[in-house]
Amino acid sequence: MPELPELNPVIHGKLRLALLSLLSGVEEAEFTWLRSKTGSTDGNLGAQLLKLEEAGYVAIEKKFVQRKPQTLYRMTDPGRQALTEYVQALKQLLGGAIGV
Amino acid sequence: MTADTEELDLNDRLKLIETMIAEGRRRTESYSWVFVLWGLAYYVAIAWSTGGFTGAIFGARNLAWPVTMTVFFVLTWILTVRRSRNQPVTTHGRAVGSIWFAMGISMFILLLSLGLSGRGDQQLFIAVTSTMLGTTNAASGMLLKWKLQFACAIVWWLAAVAALFGTVTQSSIAFLVAIFFCQIVFGIYGMIREASQRRQGVSHA
Repeated sequence: MPELPELNPVIHGKLRLALLSLLSGVEEAEFTWLRSKTGSTDGNLGAQLLKLEEAGYVAIEKKFVQRKPQTLYRMTDPGRQALTEYVQALKQLLGGAIGV
Repeated sequence: MTADTEELDLNDRLKLIETMIAEGRRRTESYSWVFVLWGLAYYVAIAWSTGGFTGAIFGARNLAWPVTMTVFFVLTWILTVRRSRNQPVTTHGRAVGSIWFAMGISMFILLLSLGLSGRGDQQLFIAVTSTMLGTTNAASGMLLKWKLQFACAIVWWLAAVAALFGTVTQSSIAFLVAIFFCQIVFGIYGMIREASQRRQGVSHA
């Protein structure tokens, strides 16, 4: 019997999975946009993004636009790789099909 | 946790990935108002340059295109920056934006230089302007897979041909008609379509 794959625990959290999926479709996104799309609170969102950053899946850029602070998030290559592997593992576990 | 509930949970995650990827790619930008704004800009410049406005300010007709283009270029820039704040950057959006930005700069330089230098062969001016707008609309239409925008490109190209082969009056009429349909009407239609997409997006959220 073939060995079943393990799911990456960093990505498996629902909010972190939602964040990585969102970021996979854009080049970069602001904190406020991610918050509006996920409906999460500032604290929880910040904590989950920090975990993704610590794992090297998300890169953060802070800058000022018209004197207002702006935090931009971007998915890194290891992040994209991890999400792809996660989807493949899910497909294997479910025996279904999905395209990313 | 049973095998069934585990499978249900995994299915939920697959759906979540699909939903979020689609949400991230969903275009929420609205740029159709720019078409209407620039349709008005062309009409203002044409009216000014042909003596349609009275008053000391509008006396210098050779300044009509340079001044109108500068004012509307700055206005478009400010409004675009304000409206696109907090929106994510997508490759698709950047591709479409770059086409229009490059055309805007080219058009600005061309019209400014033509106006200030006084080398204003009206028919050639209409032909060049219409061709540039045709090129940009065609590229944007193909990128967005939007047949109506490609149809606008064809109208602009026809206006360019009419400008070179027709009389001055015919070329002016062709230009005015192209502006009306490809800027004003197309822009208003686009705004209605964007509003409808936004409403659908809200109801699905």
